[in-house]
Amino acid sequence: MGTGKTSLVLRFVKGQFSEYQESTIGAAFFTQVLSLNEATVKFDIWDTAGQERYHSLAPMYYRGAAAAIVVYDITSMDSFVRAKKWVREVQRQANPNLIMFLVANKADLEDQRKVGNEEGEECAKENGMSFFETSAKTAQNVNELFYEIAKRLAKANPSRQTGIKLHGRTQETRRRLFCCV
Amino acid sequence: MYGTKSKIDLAFEYQSQIPVLRPSIHSRRANLTVKFQDLYGFTVEGNVDDVNVLNDVREKVRQQGRVWWALEASKGANWYLHTTIGQGSALTSSLKFSALANAITLKKLIKKGIPPVLRPKVWFSLSGAAKKKSTVPDSYYDDLTKAVEGKVTPATRQIDHDLPRTFPGHPWLDTPEGHAALRRVLVAYSFRDSDVGYCQGLNYVAALLLLVMKTEEDAFWMLAVLLENVLVSDCYTNNLSGCHVEQRVFKDLLAKKCPRIATHLEALEFDVSLVTTEWFLCLFSKSLPSETTLRVWDVIFFEGAKVIFNVALAIFKMKEDQLLLTHHVGEVINVLQMTTHHLFDPDDLLTVAFDQIGSMTTNTISKQRKKQEPEVMKELDQRIRKLNSLKADNK
Ligand SMILES: Nc1nc2c(ncn2[C@@H]2O[C@H](COP(=O)(O)OP(=O)(O)O)[C@@H](O)[C@H]2O)c(=O)[nH]1
Ligand SMILES: [Mg+2]
Repeated sequence: MGTGKTSLVLRFVKGQFSEYQESTIGAAFFTQVLSLNEATVKFDIWDTAGQERYHSLAPMYYRGAAAAIVVYDITSMDSFVRAKKWVREVQRQANPNLIMFLVANKADLEDQRKVGNEEGEECAKENGMSFFETSAKTAQNVNELFYEIAKRLAKANPSRQTGIKLHGRTQETRRRLFCCV
Repeated sequence: MYGTKSKIDLAFEYQSQIPVLRPSIHSRRANLTVKFQDLYGFTVEGNVDDVNVLNDVREKVRQQGRVWWALEASKGANWYLHTTIGQGSALTSSLKFSALANAITLKKLIKKGIPPVLRPKVWFSLSGAAKKKSTVPDSYYDDLTKAVEGKVTPATRQIDHDLPRTFPGHPWLDTPEGHAALRRVLVAYSFRDSDVGYCQGLNYVAALLLLVMKTEEDAFWMLAVLLENVLVSDCYTNNLSGCHVEQRVFKDLLAKKCPRIATHLEALEFDVSLVTTEWFLCLFSKSLPSETTLRVWDVIFFEGAKVIFNVALAIFKMKEDQLLLTHHVGEVINVLQMTTHHLFDPDDLLTVAFDQIGSMTTNTISKQRKKQEPEVMKELDQRIRKLNSLKADNK
């Protein structure tokens, strides 16, 4: 319950953290731009609601996504179990070229840790995902996570992406990003 | 008379007065963002124009109050409770006629808004909540709350998690007292209907009901009548199948009523449910300003859930030109969010919703729902089966 998806996205998009984040209904939409040396990546981010019954809405958000972040909370084994379920669903049902990240959040709560770092690592490895331990609260590893996503996206077959030309001079590629659990 | 405060005023309600800004300073300040509290204590961010609109709305609310009081004076208090058409064959034909005339008056009147002081009373009777409550012992709510005190379930855990995240910063809802009241209503309901239990989204709906109804018990019954009688069933249960049905019906209606928008959005691969799901689940409470939301609810409680379609269609319709100029998903969402957040004048929205969209009968909508139900069930079923088959693979 409340693994910190919204907090992670807000940390990335606004650089802020607040204890009481309005609960997300359905999903919330955010955008952010990251400039790498090689490319500019524009993220369209769907931050989804966590309650189990909302999962039936998920396909609408991951349809057409280029990357997905599956988040669990290191202080909750239950959230890790649910994360694994999500990994399976997204792998099977979403676009096969989707790049997936497994994120262990709330790393600042080390003293309450229930899910070992190795467990996360291993799950990620088994499923061919990249793994990050983050804290939306302290900002630890948050930018690193999104930079890595941007890099991977820029590298992965740039020609395959749906590029949309904007009015300005730069040609940008928009990527849909999907956050769950 | 109108303006006398009801007994259980919430502390915040009348404290805020919006400064009236004169047109002379209007243009210079139009771009300034100001923060202020609206009629129900919500902090609103807007520019000077918005402040002026809100002041106009307050004045209109006052005038509307006078209309209601005048009617009470001429037709008798509670006249609107006796308007149900088709009931009571024992009535003489002249009485039937006056009931019918009253019903027509009432329908029009409600679309123009129920004055905030009368809202609790009018909602309670017209929605059917009063009737529902009258079928159980008077102590039902108290007994239920006491019986479930201290119990921990997945629903109560989720509720506890959401309490501080329901309209954070609101001067009453976001206090220990507000949290406790909202908690009791939601927890009590989760035990009344264990199929629904608690679904995220209901926290916002119940919070607003509390603000309007002023007592927990009445808010509880309004929530009950809403979920059990007003809205389509299974909106909040299990896999939200009712909500899926509504979304499909909405898409068909959009294609019919706003074909240009529907075609354009489809070309952008924009699934309208990306934004409308929240509207349907929270009944606009997270998107529209409070008085506008409650004006929509005025009509929902009287005419039924079909009203949600009118309003949702109206939001798209109002911004047709802008929407047709969008190039990607982000822009579409921006247009829609900016629109809903700034709909401070409820009449702007409701005029479009009822005069331009055209009326749809509950019957038509019911037929549409029936048509979509099997499709939704099939889709949800397929997803579950796929997930299960995948578990089998992994072993
Ligand atoms: N200590 C700590 N708390 C966090 C962190 N990220 C989120 N939270 C808290 O966890 C709760 C749920 O966060 P939220 O972002 O709403 O989770 P979501 O439901 O997954 O979107 C909130 O109270 C946050 O303040 C983190 O990295 N560290
Ligand atoms: Mg969230």
